[in-house]
Amino acid sequence: MINNILIIVLNILFLLIMPFFMVGLIKKTKAFFGGRKGISIFQPFYDFVKLLKKGQVISSSTSWIFKIAPLVIFSSVIFAGLFAPIFYGKAIIELECAFVVFSYLLGFSKFFAIISALDTGSSFEGMGSSREACFTTLIEPAFFIILASIAVLTGNSTFNSISMILTSTGAFGLLITIMMVAAIFIMLLVECSRVPVDDPETHLELTMIHEVMILDNSGFDLALITYASGIKMAILSAIIVNLILPSALNGALFAVLFIALTLLLAIIIGIIESMMARIRMSHVFEFVFIMSSIALVIASLVAVRMFGV
Amino acid sequence: MENYFIGILILIFSGIFSLLIKNSYLKLKFIALCAFVSTCFELNSVFKIFKFGTIEKIFEYGSIFNQVRFSLDYLSAFFIFFITIMTTLGAIYARGYLSNYIKKKKDITAHSVFLPILTASMLLVVGVQNALMFLIVWEMMSLSSFFLVMFEHEKKETRQAGIKYLIYMHVSVIFIILAFALMSLASNSLDFAQFKIALENDFAMANVAFILGFIGFGIKAGFVPFHNWLPSAHPAAPSHVSGMMSGVMIKTGIYGILRILSLILIPSCQIGYVVIIISIITMLYGILYAISQQDIKKLLAYSSIENIGIIGLGLGVGILGLSYNNPSVALLGFSGCMLHVLNHSIFKELLFFGAGAIYSKTHTRDIEVLGGLIKSMPKTAVLFLIGAIAICALPPFNGFISEFLIYFGMLKGIMIDNISAFLICLLAFGALALVGTMAVLCFTKAFSAIFLGEKREKAKDINEDVNSSFIFPMSLLACFIFFIGLAPKLIFLFVSKPVSIFVQTGQIEQYLNILQTISIVLAGLLIFIGILYTIRYFVSKGSKVHQTWGCGYDKPNEKMQYSASSFASPFLVMLMPLFKKVSDIKKPKTIFPVHAHFVQHLEDVEEEYFLKPVLKSTEKFFEQFERIQNGNIQQYISYGIIFLVIVLIVAILLG
Repeated sequence: MINNILIIVLNILFLLIMPFFMVGLIKKTKAFFGGRKGISIFQPFYDFVKLLKKGQVISSSTSWIFKIAPLVIFSSVIFAGLFAPIFYGKAIIELECAFVVFSYLLGFSKFFAIISALDTGSSFEGMGSSREACFTTLIEPAFFIILASIAVLTGNSTFNSISMILTSTGAFGLLITIMMVAAIFIMLLVECSRVPVDDPETHLELTMIHEVMILDNSGFDLALITYASGIKMAILSAIIVNLILPSALNGALFAVLFIALTLLLAIIIGIIESMMARIRMSHVFEFVFIMSSIALVIASLVAVRMFGV
Repeated sequence: MENYFIGILILIFSGIFSLLIKNSYLKLKFIALCAFVSTCFELNSVFKIFKFGTIEKIFEYGSIFNQVRFSLDYLSAFFIFFITIMTTLGAIYARGYLSNYIKKKKDITAHSVFLPILTASMLLVVGVQNALMFLIVWEMMSLSSFFLVMFEHEKKETRQAGIKYLIYMHVSVIFIILAFALMSLASNSLDFAQFKIALENDFAMANVAFILGFIGFGIKAGFVPFHNWLPSAHPAAPSHVSGMMSGVMIKTGIYGILRILSLILIPSCQIGYVVIIISIITMLYGILYAISQQDIKKLLAYSSIENIGIIGLGLGVGILGLSYNNPSVALLGFSGCMLHVLNHSIFKELLFFGAGAIYSKTHTRDIEVLGGLIKSMPKTAVLFLIGAIAICALPPFNGFISEFLIYFGMLKGIMIDNISAFLICLLAFGALALVGTMAVLCFTKAFSAIFLGEKREKAKDINEDVNSSFIFPMSLLACFIFFIGLAPKLIFLFVSKPVSIFVQTGQIEQYLNILQTISIVLAGLLIFIGILYTIRYFVSKGSKVHQTWGCGYDKPNEKMQYSASSFASPFLVMLMPLFKKVSDIKKPKTIFPVHAHFVQHLEDVEEEYFLKPVLKSTEKFFEQFERIQNGNIQQYISYGIIFLVIVLIVAILLG
C-alpha cells in the first residue's frame, strides 16, 4: 500500500517545491508576452515567506470557521497529494479506488473554502463561492467517469492506471490519452482558477471566482491558501504529465523529463493566459461541459473497445 | 430472545402508564427513562445474536395465525441496534424540545403514549417472520407515527400533511399485501421461511413479488416517485419525531426490501438494473430539490430522499453482484448499503435535532431570515457542522466510509466483463459523484445561511444556546460520526454480519486493509490540522479586527450579504426546466417607487404534473357516485322501496 522511501521523498519534495516554480514560471511567461522583464522565478516563494511573517486583519463578521478554514484547506490538499500519482506514476499511498479518496479530500477543502467565504458575510465572496460550488458539480462526475473507464481499459483500479494507457493499448491508447490530457487540462484550468475560466490577476470582484473567495484573508491564512492552490495545480499537472510520459523510462531520465514536462505545462498555461481572454461568466458552463462531453466519449470508446458493440 | 420481548413490553407499558402521570415534564422523563432501560435489554439481545447467531421463538395462536414465528437473525439484530439507540436519543431530546410547548399549556398526552409505541412497533417489524403479523405491526407503526406527526393538529398544514402521510402509507400497505398474498399463495403458508422455499424454484414469481414489495416498501422508504409524503410530513412533525421518522422509520422500508431479497436465492440482474435506475433518479431528484428549498426541515426531508437513493444504489449494486455471481461486488454493495443505513440514521437525526434547536430559539424554519447564529449558538453550530460534513460524505467522517464502499462496489461492477453492467455502473458512478458535489452545494448553503455571516431579522435577538437536553443527544450522535469515520474497520466487521445473509464474506480481509489505511490517513489529517493550528497560534503576529471588505463601501448591513437562494441560483438556473416556478413580482414603477416585492418558490414537479392530475381524476371518478348519495332523504327512501320491490320479485320468481 505504502510505496518505497525514494518515491515518498521525491513525491513530497515535488508537492512542496513545485508549486512555487510553476506559479513563478507562469508569471514569467506572461511577463515575456507582455514585453516586460517580469519578476524573479523565486518571487512566489518570497511572497509566501513574507505573508507568513505578516500580521492579519480579520473581519468582524467572521467566526472561528474563518480561522480554521485555511488550515483545513491546506491540510486536505496536501493529504490528497498523498494519493495522487506523481513520480514514476506512483502515489505515496496506493489503494484501489484511491481517486475517490483523492477527490473527496479535495471536496473537503472546497467545503471549507466555501463556508469560510460565506462566513465574512460579503456579497462578493458569496458570489465567488456560489460559482465555485456550481462548477465543481460539473467537473467531478466527468473526472469520475473518466477514471472508471480507464480502470476498465487497463484492468487496474488504482490511481496509477493512468500511466498505463499509453504503453499498454497502442494506437487506441494514444487516442484516449489525448482526450484525457484535454479533459484533465480543462479540470486544471477550472480548479486552479486560470484563464479562460478565471483570472487570478484581476481586480474586478464581480467577475472573479476563486480569488474573490479569499478577499478577506490575509497574512498566515492567505499564505496557506495560495500555497494550497499551487499544490493543487502541481498535483493536476503531475497527473497530466503521467499520462504522456511512458513509465518504462529508467530512473533519473524519467525524473528529469518529468520535472521538465511539468515546467513546460506551466509555460503552456502562461501562454494560454497571455493569448486568450477570459470567457464571459455565463459561457464558462459551456467550456466546463467540454470536459463532461470528453468523459462521455471516452466512456463510449472504452465500451466499444472492451465489448465490441 | 426474552430480552427482546421484555424491552418491547417495557416500551408499550411505558406508553400506557404515562397516562397516569399528570405532570408533563415527569411524563417525558418517565418515557425517556423507560426507553433507556429497554435499550439496555435490546442491546443485550443484539449482543447475544452477534455472538451466538440466530435466535427464534414460535407462538401458537389458534386458527387465524397458526404459528407466529419471531426470529432474530443478523439483519434483524442490525436494525434493532440502531432503532433502539436512535429512538432513545429522540426521547431524551423530546424533553428539551417539548418544554417550549408545555410552557404554552400544550397537551402532550397522546404524544407520550405513541412515542414509545412507535419504537416498540418498529422493533416488532424487524423481528416478526409471519406475513399477517408483520402487516399488523406495520400498521401499528404507521398509525403511531401518524399520531406523532399530528402533534400540532390545530394547524391546517399539519392536518393536511398528516392525512397525506396516512394515505401514502395505506397505498404502501396495499402493495405489501399483494406481495405477501402472492408468496403465501405459492407457499400455502404465512411464514417467511416457507416463502423462501416456495420462491426457490419459481424465478418469475420471485421477480414479481420483489417488484411489488419494492413498490410497497419503497413508498415507506421514500423512493421517487413515491416520495411526496416526506417533504410534507417532516416539516409538520416536531423535530425529534422528524429525526426519528427520517433517521429510523423510513429505514424499515429498506428492511422490508432486504427481507424480501433474503427470501430470493439468486435475484435476476434485471431487478438489479431496475433498483439502480430508480435509485439514481431518487438521489438526483432528492438533492436537486434539497438545493432549492428555503425551509430547513423540507431541505432535510429532500436530502433524506437523496440518501435513500444512495442506500438503494448500494442495494442495487449488491443485487448485481449476486446475479453476476461476483461476491466482491455483492459484498461491497450490500455493506455500503447497510452502513449507509446506519450512517444516515445518525447524521440525519443530528441535523433534524439541530434544526429543532434552531426552531425552538428562533421560531422559524426559513433559513433566509436567519444568519450569524454561530456567535449566539456556538454548540449547536459545531454539531450541525459535523452533521453537514458527514452528510456530504466528506472525509474524515462516517458518510465517506459508506459512500466509499458503494463507489468501490460500483468500480468492481464496472469491471465485470459485461456491457450492461459496465454501462449501468458507470452511469451510477458518475451520478453518485454528481450527487456528492450537489450535497456540498446544498449543505454549505444551509449551514452558512443559518449560522454564518451577519444576523438577519429573526436571528437578531437570540443571545443564548439551547440547554443540555438538546446538546447531549446531539453530541452523542456527533461522537458516533467521529467513531465510524475513524474506526471504519470495526464497523465494517460489524456490518459484514448482516451482509453474510446475502453473500459469502470470505474476501473481507483485503477490504479491511484498505479501510484501515484510509482511517490512518484520515486520523493523520485531523492531527495535521491540529499541528497547523498550533503553528498558526505561535507564528501569526496579532490580528486587527475590521469590517468585511466592501469594495470601498463602509456601511455594510446584513441585507447586503449573499442569501441562500442567490447562492444556489447559478446551479438551479441551469436546471430550471425541472422545476415549476411560482413567482409573485411587483416591479417598482414611476420615478419614486413606493412599493415593490418579489417572491419566488420552486414547486415539486412530481406533485404538480403527476400527483395533482391523478388526484383530480380520481376525485372526478368518485364524484360520479355523488348522484347516488346526494343527501336527499326522499331519494334514500325510494332506494329502500326499490330494494324491497326487487327482493319481493326475486322471492316470487324463486318461490
